[in-house]
Amino acid sequence: MSATDLVLDPVQTPGVLAAKLWIGRGSAADPVGQRGAHQLLASVLTRGCGSLDAMQMADLVEGCGAGLRCDTNEDGLLISMKCRDLDSPQLLPLLSSMVHEPHLQADQVNLERELSLQALQRQREDPFHLAFDGWRHLAYGMGPYGHDPLGVAGELEQLNAASLRPIATSLSAEGAILALSGSIPAKLLDQLKADGIFPQSNSADPDPDAKDLSDQASLSAEQTVHLHSQSTEQVVLMLGQPTLPHGHPDDLALRLLQTHLGNGMSSLLFRRLREDHGVAYDVGVHHPARAKASPFILHASTAVDKALTTLDLLIMSWQELMEHTLEIADLNLARAKFCGQLAHASQTTGQRAERRAQLRGLGLPDNHDHRCMEALESLDGTALRLAASRHLANPLLSLCGPKSAIDSLADRWQQSLSQF
Amino acid sequence: MPDAGLTCLDFWCRGGSSFEDHGEEGLAHFLEHMVFKGSATLQAGEFDRRIEALGGSSNAATGFDDVHFHVLVPSSCAQNALDLLLDLVLNPALREDAYSMERDVVLEEIAQYRDQPDEQVFQTLLSHGFGKHPYGRPILGWEKSLLDSTPEAMRQFHNRRYRGPNCCLAISGAVTSNLIEQIHSSRLAELEASLDQGDENASASRSLAFLSGRQSIRFPRLEAARLLMAWPMAAANDQDSVMGADLATTLLAEGRRSRLVQRLREDLQIVESIDMDVTVMEQGSVVMLEACCPEDQIEQVEAVIEEELKRATVDAIGDDELHRAQQLVGNGLRFSLEAPGSVAAIAGSQSLWGRTQTLLSPLSHLQTWTVERLQQSLLPRLQNDQAFTLLALPEDSE
Repeated sequence: MSATDLVLDPVQTPGVLAAKLWIGRGSAADPVGQRGAHQLLASVLTRGCGSLDAMQMADLVEGCGAGLRCDTNEDGLLISMKCRDLDSPQLLPLLSSMVHEPHLQADQVNLERELSLQALQRQREDPFHLAFDGWRHLAYGMGPYGHDPLGVAGELEQLNAASLRPIATSLSAEGAILALSGSIPAKLLDQLKADGIFPQSNSADPDPDAKDLSDQASLSAEQTVHLHSQSTEQVVLMLGQPTLPHGHPDDLALRLLQTHLGNGMSSLLFRRLREDHGVAYDVGVHHPARAKASPFILHASTAVDKALTTLDLLIMSWQELMEHTLEIADLNLARAKFCGQLAHASQTTGQRAERRAQLRGLGLPDNHDHRCMEALESLDGTALRLAASRHLANPLLSLCGPKSAIDSLADRWQQSLSQF
Repeated sequence: MPDAGLTCLDFWCRGGSSFEDHGEEGLAHFLEHMVFKGSATLQAGEFDRRIEALGGSSNAATGFDDVHFHVLVPSSCAQNALDLLLDLVLNPALREDAYSMERDVVLEEIAQYRDQPDEQVFQTLLSHGFGKHPYGRPILGWEKSLLDSTPEAMRQFHNRRYRGPNCCLAISGAVTSNLIEQIHSSRLAELEASLDQGDENASASRSLAFLSGRQSIRFPRLEAARLLMAWPMAAANDQDSVMGADLATTLLAEGRRSRLVQRLREDLQIVESIDMDVTVMEQGSVVMLEACCPEDQIEQVEAVIEEELKRATVDAIGDDELHRAQQLVGNGLRFSLEAPGSVAAIAGSQSLWGRTQTLLSPLSHLQTWTVERLQQSLLPRLQNDQAFTLLALPEDSE
């Protein structure tokens, strides 16, 4: 059994406590031929551990009116518990038990596997999902970020309790981070202390070289476009590139560019695609915090007859990042929005606990966000343009929509490639 | 919420899609878009830029009954944001050029929804259950009515609905006394104090009749079958019944220990998921159930649901079952009171419709719902023969 790092964030609430337990083993660590294994394992953790079977766990958690879920992303597994503070001494021990004493009963694994397979199938109804799946495959290939955390149907079908056991053992051996936010009862802290779980200070800077292990090696050198034909009214366009780990020295520059392009109704894409051209309703930038090469993707969906214009606008917006220096007014707006987003993203105990667990999990200091705000002023338009040139020079395009429309877009894309 | 660093200003208006007349379908939602295109004093995009430059955000949402516009800003900027918000919402410019451009955006929004099979299934259920009542048509409206609409017609809708008695401003987070003083001298005081009588008469004449029945329809691009059921429920003002319905749906379908989840997903393993919830509306709420399953299981799923719903009216419901449901419903409300945005939304919508009360007061109704009362007056209304049932099947799997 490994050590658990505890992060405390006491906040005044109406008697609510959020707990997030993060373990840095996610779908990127799925063994070869077992894509989907970590997500399946995570889903089975709520189905029996320690002295409780699946129904007894449900009786305990639901009987307290609490919420318990277990999610997997590319980098790790996150167990979330939300409960009333007075129920926490009774409920929190479950989190550790789920990681170290999971039952992994064959019937429960089989049930979750079937549910995951059905969920994978149902995801295919969403054209945005299809476009993103195509982009992911294009960008990461067979690399660690190359598949949906839910897995790949053909490999998921083969998984069973026996195949999950070694993965569960590795999970148990991995260090965990427990972040608590909200009303934290003294009794709960005593209990955690008795289990050897103490808060530890964390102010160390990460080693950027160690974290900058992007998946570039798995990228296909030639193919830059992925087409998925669907009989939809609209075409979904995703233009992006695998970029940097969260906390990389250039990460803040990319986050400011993300804010400039896609955050809020004053953002460039919103103004350009919606207000100036009326070609799309839903536009934005997808750039999650990841331990390795995080995707940086501009996305929009539009009618077939406006798709070429939309593609041109996305390409133009992308190229401008490298060719134009941001105006000072735009830069100041992006800085203000960046700070605003940090405040918006820490309103609930769940948001606060998750961010604290995430920062520790990524090896970043607890005051990382504060440091970023202080560093904003030192980033000028030139620094952003140079960061874009370093990390956004090789974009990839994924399209989902009617065949004739996406074929025309692919032709336009091939023509425009010479501009990059 | 004195510890909150942010303040939410949330303007509510009884101006949802159910107040649209014939030919105005989609206008309430389109107006919500047009509001952000500027006022007499704010240029298009200026509001967004100024709010976001304060480190704030803004958004809006249109429902069947009401529409609301909210901004979330650092508390020190709330006074500035209040002026901007009220100017924007109460004096929209509705400029001709912006109108046609934004209409294209709304048409794209409609197209985007049409590409989501889930949305199509859901809308089909509502249109069958509510028939010609406005609750039965999409809030986004029809393409034709939007194309036929004009800025003048939209202005008339705004004049009709955005009047004092139809509006409410909710503020949550850190609220200073200066801000409260400012409200008294704000543009809210300029709102028309009386209602448009013709409009009120037209609204009152709409009656809500729910149509039960059963249909099986194939949908393109659906990858898994859905069984959807809808039942009419008490209107929002009957908070006691609404809380009872919330309790009943939780007992039946929230969590692994709930009756339907346990039987269909855990024991029989014939559904991927099953959910049930109450959508609370002013002219009559609706309880909806959705089960996702392989197509070849859908008839068995329907039969088991019928059996379980009947059983819930006659078999004993344990104290532990009721306690579990009460805890889940109670915490659902308690957990939603952390952020200024959600507090303003709850307080604003309740006050708008005349239910001025403390945030947790709906919970007082929970204790009045005993097992006997649930079995006598609520669960008998949630039976298959009283529902509209839609079997949504993938198109290409015959």
